[in-house]
Amino acid sequence: MNDMSIEDYLAHGGKLTSPGNAPPRYRGELMRLMASFVDSELAASAGFAEVINDAPGIKSRIAAARIVLEKADHAERVLKIMADFGADTARYEGVHPWAARLDREADIGASRQGGDMRLSVFHYPLQGWVDAVVMNVLQGAAAVIQLQELAKASYQPLAEVFRAVTPREARHAELGREGLGKIAATQEGSAAARESVAYWRPRVAAGFGTVGSARFERLKRFGLRHRPNEALLADWNAQIDAMLADLNLN
Amino acid sequence: MARFLPLDVVDVRKDTRDAVVVTLRPRPEDEDKFNFIQGQYLTFRRDFDGEELRRSYSICAGLDEGLLRVGIKRVDGGAFSNWANDNLDPGAVLEAMPPMGNFHTALDPAAARHYLGFAGGSGITPVLSIVKTVLTREPKSRFTLVYANRAVASIMFREELEDLKNSYLGRLSLLHVLETEGQEIDLFTGRIDEEKMQGLFTHWVDPKSVDTTFICGPEPMMLTIAASLRAHGLSDDQIKFELFASGQPGRARQKAVSQSADSAEACEATVTLDGTTRYFRMPKEGASLLDAALANDLDAPFACKAGVCSTCRAKVLEGETEMLVNHALEDYEVRQGYVLTCQCYPLSDKVVVSYDQ
Repeated sequence: MNDMSIEDYLAHGGKLTSPGNAPPRYRGELMRLMASFVDSELAASAGFAEVINDAPGIKSRIAAARIVLEKADHAERVLKIMADFGADTARYEGVHPWAARLDREADIGASRQGGDMRLSVFHYPLQGWVDAVVMNVLQGAAAVIQLQELAKASYQPLAEVFRAVTPREARHAELGREGLGKIAATQEGSAAARESVAYWRPRVAAGFGTVGSARFERLKRFGLRHRPNEALLADWNAQIDAMLADLNLN
Repeated sequence: MARFLPLDVVDVRKDTRDAVVVTLRPRPEDEDKFNFIQGQYLTFRRDFDGEELRRSYSICAGLDEGLLRVGIKRVDGGAFSNWANDNLDPGAVLEAMPPMGNFHTALDPAAARHYLGFAGGSGITPVLSIVKTVLTREPKSRFTLVYANRAVASIMFREELEDLKNSYLGRLSLLHVLETEGQEIDLFTGRIDEEKMQGLFTHWVDPKSVDTTFICGPEPMMLTIAASLRAHGLSDDQIKFELFASGQPGRARQKAVSQSADSAEACEATVTLDGTTRYFRMPKEGASLLDAALANDLDAPFACKAGVCSTCRAKVLEGETEMLVNHALEDYEVRQGYVLTCQCYPLSDKVVVSYDQ
């Protein structure tokens, strides 16, 4: 009755709920995945904090502040799960300078910088309100697609957090689209937005990872991932193409 | 960092031939720390021939019973479970970490839910905690429990479940599935397979009426049940899984032949933890830096002991070491001198290590 390894169990769609049952490599990949989310959210929140003062009106100011608040909250929820695995959360929160950015033209591809696991897109600086809105729209749409994927992850407590935060992340992207709609209404705004789209689009796309990724195969065996990077990227491209066409930004 | 706290053993009751139910009481100053959520577990630690073993057992008490109780079923060759079944008596003291675990859903006293639970063998322990809690805390909710065992004699909490069924008539339905003993209805004999699940949903439970399901048992059983639940329209967030302890190795490791710490193969270690520095000699082989530190009464932090979770990270300030496995530290940290002490062995005759940096 018990002649099934946890690896087999996971490969067949089984779920885990406690750290004690996680095999070492699973635990490593899960911790890595969680660290990547936490670092990205903290970096996103810190980056957006600086944009609040660029917001053109009270409503957009509230929207930006809300994004800053909720992304930090989402990071905290996942960090709590990492704590179950022994991570020192107090130390973790201050382990990297979340607001720090590289040069706008730095060429880092999709690579992580040192121990900072944030997606590479969060290493690039925002340049003013229009740029921030465009980045938020593109990355927001990517985040929702990635979260829907991760909400199926085999570590149930994490999947539950992802399921809970997805609607709020979707709302962030929606706030961005509302803002972009206003920006695109003027000729000057459209031109600036187009320029930002050209800058951010390849950088956000890089966050979906490589085609035929070996890590994806490993994560799939663990039930931590289900659809390959290229499928998620294709969904995102289709969404962005449609949205840009709607706003006459294509 | 999670700390182990003493729990007084106030009662040990034989439940089946292979299982004991242990009632525990925290010290008054620790009472708050042992407030639990239904379905959570306790992690115990105990020394077996010089090696510390950690084992987790689910709490089987409900929230309103006012006590802390775990069920421990004998595992073949399992050091802790056999010791608990053979040697544990009232008056003993066990060390445990505060309750942990996520096998639960939020309670709502006003809710009228239908819960469906599946338990296999000792997988009943967390499910029992949930059953009891739901029955008292959600007076309008009901629970259907499908409980699989090898034989009548191996059914844990059999009487307690019967009593519950009688006390909560109409709210708790109990279906026993027995592997070896024939019952009048085929549905209740053998293992839980797809056909049985189909039968269950045809004759006993309307899958549409189910709000939440809890599954705890061996892996294949959980997969079969989950697949069937999904096929009957339940979504992932309605299915809660808990693997019981089967994945945990039960045996105490064979003790390595002890090496003379005075041989040329010995190393002088200086270890700093929480601002206190201690010196000791350790062999270069056979014991990791972490194990040597623990053996020298340093309460060094660790968890997975597999080179993954990074809880045991420390910095080598002097001397040379090597790590057997590293799944947690980045290259730059390794260059800075960080090591996972659970995987770290000294190469030089002297090492200076700090957990504080």
